[in-house]
Order: sequence, then C-alpha cells, then structure tokens
Amino acid sequence: MYDTASRLEGQVSATDIKIAARDVQVFYGDNHAIKDVSVDIQDKTVTAFIGPSGCGKSTFLRCLNRMNDTIDIARIEGEILIDGEDIYDKRVDPVQLRAKVGMVFQKPNPFPKSIFDNVAYGPKIHGLSKTRADLDDIVERALRRAALWDEVKDRLTAPGTGLSGGQQQRLCIARAVATEPEVLLMDEPCSALDPIATGQVEELIDELRQDYSVVIVTHSMQQAARVSQKTAFFHLGSLVEYDTTDKIFTNPQDSRTESYITGRIG
Amino acid sequence: MPAFWIVLIVLGIAVAGFVLGRSRALNAVIGDRRDLHSLPNYYGWNAALKGVVPALGLLAIWLILQPMLIERAVTGLVSEQAIAEERDLGLVLADVRRVAAGLDAAVAQGLLSGDAARDLSTASDDIRATLATAGVALGSDVQPAVLAAAQRFRVLSGQAGLVMVALVLAISAGGTLYGLREVRPDFRARNVVEQGIRAILIGAACIAILTTVGIVLSLVFNTIEFFRLYPAADFFFSTTWSPSFGGGSELGILPLLWGTLYISLIALLVAVPIGLFAAVYLSEYATKRVRSVAKPAIEILAGIPTIVYGLFALLTVGPLLMKVFGDDGLGWMQAGTAVMTAGLVMGIMLIPFVSSLSDDIINAVPQALRDGSYGLGATQSETIRQVILPAALPGIVGAILLAASRAIGETMIVVLGAGAAARMELNPFEAMTTVTAKIVSQLTGDADFASPEALVAFALGMTLFVITLGLNVLALYIVRKYREQYE
Repeated sequence: MYDTASRLEGQVSATDIKIAARDVQVFYGDNHAIKDVSVDIQDKTVTAFIGPSGCGKSTFLRCLNRMNDTIDIARIEGEILIDGEDIYDKRVDPVQLRAKVGMVFQKPNPFPKSIFDNVAYGPKIHGLSKTRADLDDIVERALRRAALWDEVKDRLTAPGTGLSGGQQQRLCIARAVATEPEVLLMDEPCSALDPIATGQVEELIDELRQDYSVVIVTHSMQQAARVSQKTAFFHLGSLVEYDTTDKIFTNPQDSRTESYITGRIG
Repeated sequence: MPAFWIVLIVLGIAVAGFVLGRSRALNAVIGDRRDLHSLPNYYGWNAALKGVVPALGLLAIWLILQPMLIERAVTGLVSEQAIAEERDLGLVLADVRRVAAGLDAAVAQGLLSGDAARDLSTASDDIRATLATAGVALGSDVQPAVLAAAQRFRVLSGQAGLVMVALVLAISAGGTLYGLREVRPDFRARNVVEQGIRAILIGAACIAILTTVGIVLSLVFNTIEFFRLYPAADFFFSTTWSPSFGGGSELGILPLLWGTLYISLIALLVAVPIGLFAAVYLSEYATKRVRSVAKPAIEILAGIPTIVYGLFALLTVGPLLMKVFGDDGLGWMQAGTAVMTAGLVMGIMLIPFVSSLSDDIINAVPQALRDGSYGLGATQSETIRQVILPAALPGIVGAILLAASRAIGETMIVVLGAGAAARMELNPFEAMTTVTAKIVSQLTGDADFASPEALVAFALGMTLFVITLGLNVLALYIVRKYREQYE
C-alpha cells in the first residue's frame, strides 16, 4: 500500500496551494487547543491529519470551514486563506464558505428525511437547480459519485436513517458532494464503519481527489497511508511534521512522529 | 380514642422495637458486628416495620369499613319510616349520622351527661334545641325511629372503636415482638427490610391507582343513574341546553361541547405559535445567560393559579376587548365576557406548556444533525425549519395535544371570562360557556342531588374525561414513538 501512495505522489507534485494557514491559534476558553499551526494544503490532493486523541487535529479541521463559530467559547487567531482569500475576514459569510468547504462527520448523520431529500438539501438551499429535472440530475450524480446510486436508486423516497451505517456515511458524502464544494473536510469518516464499508469509503475518497482537495482526519495510520498523498502529524496542539505521506511513514524527521507511527506514543 | 393517638402509640412501639432490635442484635454477637448477617440497624428496622405496617394497614381498612358496616346494621331501624315518608333512605341515614354526631358533640361539651344522652326520648326532650346549642343544626324535629337508630349507631360505633384500638395495638405489639424474636446473627434482616420497603412502595402506588379507579367508578355510576332519568340520545344530540330546576329541562351537551372546543381552539391558536417560537428562540438562538433567566420566567406563567388568570380575563382583557370590538368600537361585542376573552387568556396560560415541552424536545434533537446542516452551508433558520422542526415534529404534536387537553379541562378562566350562555354561534365575541363551567353551576345550585339537573354534571364530567383521556393517550403514544427514534 505504501507503493500506491508513492506512485500517486508523483502526480500531485505540481498542483496549486488551495488552503494556506498561517500561525493559527485556537482557544477554548482558557485552553490553548491549537498552537502556531502553519500548513499549505494542495488542491486535488488528499491530506491526512494524524495524531493522538486530543491533539487538535479535529479542531484545526473545523477551523477550515468555520464550524468552530457555532461554539461560543472558541476563539481563533491567525490567518487561513482559501484561494488567497482570508476566510476569517469580516466580509466573508461563514454560510457561503461552508457551501464551498463541505464537511463529512465522524458519525453518519443523515437528516430524518428521504434519501432524495437528504442529497437535495444542499442544492435546494443554495438554489443550484432551476427545475425538478435538474435536481434529479444533481442527486443522481452525487449518489453515483458516492457509489451509492445502484444500492438506493429504487428507494429514493425511503428514509435515509433506514440505511446501513456504511450506506449512511456514503449518503452523507453524497450530500456534501451535491453542494459542489471545492474542498471536502472529513472528520474520521470511517471510525463508525466496519472494514468493508471503510474500504468503500476509502475508494471513494481516492476518486474524489480528481475534483476536490480532500482533508481527512484519521486515527488509523494505515488509512492515512492508504488514501493520502500528504500527511500532517499533530501532537499536543502543535503541527509537528508535514510532508508527503511516503516520507512521514518511511523517513520521519521528528522523533515524536517516529514514536507515534511505530506505536510508542499515542 | 382518635386515630391520631393510635398512630402515635403505634409509632412509639415501633421506635421501641427499633432500639430493642438493634441492641438485641448487637448482644447476640457480643459486640462484634462483623458476625451479623446485616448491619445492626437493619434488625431494628425489621422489628419497627413489623410493628407499624400491619397495624396501620388494619387501622386504615377498619376506618374505611366501619361506617359502612354500622350503617348497614342500623338501616333496618329506619327503613320503614323512610318508606312511610317517601324519603330517600340515604337522606334518612344522613339524618341518623347527624343526630348521632350531635349527641356525641353535646356529651363532649358537657351539655348532656353520658347517661342522659342515652336516655333521651323524642317525647320528653327537645333534642333539636339541645343539639343546636351543641352546634349541630337539624332540618326538622327528630323522629323516634331516627333517634333509636342514632342511639344504636352510637353504641355500635363505641364498641367497634374499642375493639379497633385493642386489635391495632395488639397487632403492633405482636409484630414488634415477632420481629425481635427473629433477631439471630444469621437472620437476613437486610433482605427482609428490602422486601418491607418494596411492600410500602407498592402500597403507595396502589393507593394512587385505586383512587383513580374510585373516581372513575363514581363518575360511571352517577352517569348511569343520569341516563336512567334522562334519555342518552337527547343528551348527546340535542342542541338546546336549558336546565330548569322545576323539571322539564333540556340537557343537550352539544352547545357546551361547541363552546369548549371553540374556546380551546382560540387558546391553541394563541399558545401554539407563541409557545413554539419561544421554544425555538430559547433552544437555538438564546445564549446560555438569556436562557437561564428566560426559561424560568416563562415557566412562572405555569405556576399562576387559574383563578388569577380568570380575574385577568374579567378585569383586564374583557374591558380591553370591549374598547376595540364593543359598542364604542366595531360593535361586535356585547359584553366583556366572550369566547375571545377566555380563549386569549387561556392561550396565555398554555404558552409555558407548549414552550417548555417543545424546548425539551428540540434540545433532544442530536447536535450532529445541526452540524450536518451547517456543514452544508445552511443558515440557522434554514436548519431549524428544514431539519430540526421536522425531526422534533412528533414530539411537538404531543406537546400541543397535552396543551389541548389542559384547555378542554380548564374551568376558572371560563367561569369568569366566557359568560354563562350555552349557545352555538360562530361569532367569537359572543358569550358562550363550556362543559366545565356548567358542571360547576349544576352542582353548586339548589337542585335535589337525585334530579337529572344535578346528575347531568356527572355525565358531562364523564364525557370530558373520555375526551381528555383520549387526547392524553394519543399524545403519549406520539411522544413515545418519537423517543424511540434516537435511542
């Protein structure tokens, strides 16, 4: 699997920088959760955030689409640029931003609506379709991209909560894809899934890389190695090391990274 | 001896049992409490519970049964007179009870000696006057048969009271002694006490359930009695409500039901939007500090007695509506009491029901759904409208149904705010009345209790009970079904 990763890295060497974070600090009340994190995330690349629990990788991910805004006590300093635009600028509407930066969560969270309505939710609120046929089209495309279409095409009106765990998570991915985001953030998307469903989602992530910049938080180092081209290792709120996945896993520069990936800490 | 003293003595025996049981347990193992199966206190509790529970249980049953049995015993003495005078046997028996109680009071106050009270006769003494000085007023002179029955009643009560005291105290002492005899190091006092506590809890639950059954049964029997006197079809389908105490009343429930439903509808039209919006604000928009102040403030509304709401309707809302819709304004309204007045005030009363329950239900919607919606770039109100409210809808419907059953059963606001005219009209500025208000007026009037005009109250109550019960069952069913979704 390391071979696959290194083969893919060759293709991404010349891509642009999609997200640039500079000296990002996050505070939860008095707790300094993220310290001085600077990172450049490339377009059309899968970037994995790894690190022990509580190291701040999920927190940092949630900074990228301003989901931390919904938490009262969270405070963010520093600068995060997406396509050169500061997303914490006052003129930026977080609602618009989140349409551009989609998110898939740890636990599948389909809305208590039909499968169709789950996927159509984003396109409807953002007015992406002019006609009903348009909407049908968008839903079908999103479900196909999430490799779910064949399984649900005959029961689009059935409730999304009735699907299996793996199907629910792919439904959530379809829901995020339907909004046509430019960046897709995934917060441990496979932690509630069994190995088969995990395999399906991982395959899907690899396909999504064609069009999107994907950032994935994962606890599984094998998963990071399998799906990502770049890996960032977080420890105690700091970004310890950020490099190509191949390098992180075969020749880490920092001793903490080495200890973590060999299982001595974490 | 009054029951109060008996209870005190029984409790005294129990305390003694506790102390003795505890020390006996400690003595049995010569001070080393580790050799006991249970902690010493459990041996004490065992003796105390055995002294209290059976004795007080017997006391309660005895106090309930004694009047019934004695009444049956004296019935034979007065039944002939009742038939002769064409009076209801129950009323004669009530006279007997009053005379007996009056004689007891007279003896207690020293107006009569015990012997004198026993030897009274209707021929030589003015019993009515004597009893009046003792504070018991009688409606007519005492008949010989009634006096005889009253004397018999007193004798039987006195004897039964003595037997009861003796039995209760004996059982209490016996139970305590039995509990003390059981004390041995290997006696599992802790398990026995556990069972005793269980028995007490079951007893409490049974009392609650039996009381409900009793209320329903009394409603049912009186309703059946009413339908024997008045045709059920007229009651349910007649559109006229005009009780006249001289007889020949028309007792159709439809105008009352119409008033009830109309006022409830207006109340819900006020309470549901306001309550729901308040709940959405409190659970989704309000900061923690605002919420910690605003939520209790709204719930204070639920603590206001309904009679105060009634006053508010009568003195504030009614005149205010008159200014706008009365003769000086639009001319739709004749008086301050109207469906609209009562409906508005009742709606205010129901706001906290709707808002508090809906708030809990909205809060129970998982945060993951909100995150999912925000993550797709939805705004807060889009999230609430399209994700949270649909997810919470079954629970909210349940809350609304509970509020509706409150509205239907509400009395004081209607009595003061809606007027007393039973009619079926569409104009919400007319005075109308409800089932509950009419129950009050039918039972507080001078009507003979056995007449259909009084008994109709039970039929009305039964109808109301069935409606609200149905609404509650439906609401609970919906709420429960909703709960299963997230667990």
